[in-house]
Amino acid sequence: MTNSSGEKFVVPIGPQHPALKEPGQFQFTVDGEIVTGASIRLGFVHRGIEKACESRNYTQDLYLLERVCGICSHVHATAFALGVEKLAGVEAPPRAEAIRVLGGELERIHSHLLWLGVAAHEGGFDTLFMYTWRDREVVMDLLESISGSRVHYSLNVIGGVKYDITDKMADEIRRGMDFLEERTHYYMKVVTTDDTFVGRTRGVGIMTKEHAERLGAVGPTARASGVERDIRFNAPYSAYKEFPINMIMDTTGDLEARFIVRIKELFECYRLIREILDNLPESDLTVKVKRRIPAGEVISRVEAPRGELLYYIQSDGSDMPARVKARTPSLCNWATISDVAIGHKLADMPMLLVGIDPCFSCNDRLVQVNRPNQTDLNWSWDDLRRYGIEYYR
Amino acid sequence: MGIGALLGDVVRSLFSKPATEQYPFVRYAAPDRLRGKLVYDPEKCSGCQLCIKDCPSNAIELLVVDKKAKKFVMRYHADRCVYCAQCVDNCRFECLNMSNEQWELASTDKAAFEVMYGKDEDIEYLLQRAAQPGADEPPCE
Repeated sequence: MTNSSGEKFVVPIGPQHPALKEPGQFQFTVDGEIVTGASIRLGFVHRGIEKACESRNYTQDLYLLERVCGICSHVHATAFALGVEKLAGVEAPPRAEAIRVLGGELERIHSHLLWLGVAAHEGGFDTLFMYTWRDREVVMDLLESISGSRVHYSLNVIGGVKYDITDKMADEIRRGMDFLEERTHYYMKVVTTDDTFVGRTRGVGIMTKEHAERLGAVGPTARASGVERDIRFNAPYSAYKEFPINMIMDTTGDLEARFIVRIKELFECYRLIREILDNLPESDLTVKVKRRIPAGEVISRVEAPRGELLYYIQSDGSDMPARVKARTPSLCNWATISDVAIGHKLADMPMLLVGIDPCFSCNDRLVQVNRPNQTDLNWSWDDLRRYGIEYYR
Repeated sequence: MGIGALLGDVVRSLFSKPATEQYPFVRYAAPDRLRGKLVYDPEKCSGCQLCIKDCPSNAIELLVVDKKAKKFVMRYHADRCVYCAQCVDNCRFECLNMSNEQWELASTDKAAFEVMYGKDEDIEYLLQRAAQPGADEPPCE
């Protein structure tokens, strides 16, 4: 819709509290209730973590990178530790790898339950939000009893893990999984049958397989559209080789499918955790890794709760990395929002937004300042190459 | 199920105990492995400073009173600490530990976050030295 002077109506949402409690700005061009265009502006929580990594040693970086995200802290440390171990030419002992995967899956449960609550909240279903978060405490307490902290577990060290799983803990985890499995069955029923909720999700934000592939979606967002993309399955790392997972897929591609995929993934997590606890290999927890990591570069990919997490680590032979680059899954999924939003009602935007389970602070790796006199922000391959050469001169 | 799928659960919750903990009145028993305040035992310390080397937040300082007699005082900054327990992992003499009882660390006073660990006479000696004008602190890293 345009006013008398021919200007478009733009509804800005954010940067403060755009549906979620993290900063990001969304501009929706509307025609009445219907969104005709969307743009996303990020970078409000850029913290310079990658640069900070270059002035700390590998062990210190582990804790710094763990703090990239407050929800999926463990996978960040795992990705970094796996990368550094590969550079150093060592492999963590099998028990350590199994505990890493166990931590990762417990974290996935807590992340998915948190997301289910947030998504329900955005859909105006606060009762479900309260109940999922109450039940999430079970897995948070388990993580706390294993590692000693609810959020930043610090399970990893370079070359293994710090904490062992005792038999008593294994029993506690099994009990927790039984309780959560029962609750998850119930939530699955609620999410797929409650008319008010289904009205917000079924047929909303449909993304076909081709569309998802073109936009480069990752994680449950991609899998809900039928794209077979799961690093744990496609390129098993750590103990996923010994404990394979079943990829959870859906083909509908709407918001409801994303709920179903994530909830089904929870069942898969429960199964895998039980399997790991029953077959926990016996070995040491750490191998010795020299402080100085041999020169080289490595790409380490893991499956975070939101999708593929990629780390690029470059070593110059010292005890500090020369370059660390993290690409988090939320960054890959943004395009799906701005693209799929068109044609939907403005009221569907919060639900569409949480549908990808965005994590704003994770993906803000670089801030770009728009100078008033600088109009061309598109860099060609040659420009980028020249910039790279100048940077490392 | 139609509308109100959670209604049964809601009604049941009306008659059950609140899920939240009544924290200041009832103190939650922390798990054994909880990473609370760092505790230092000067008796076992060899002064190798490996804990300082890997601390991600510069939360530990080791003040050397007498290296030969192995007299050390640790200045621990609880406000800088990220409670990762890497120092505990690094220590070969088990002189560092993270308490699972001292976790209520909030304070309105900044001085409460600077904790000195060591023998009383060593701390006394350091404080007296620091009070003298012109005297430097013993070297630390």
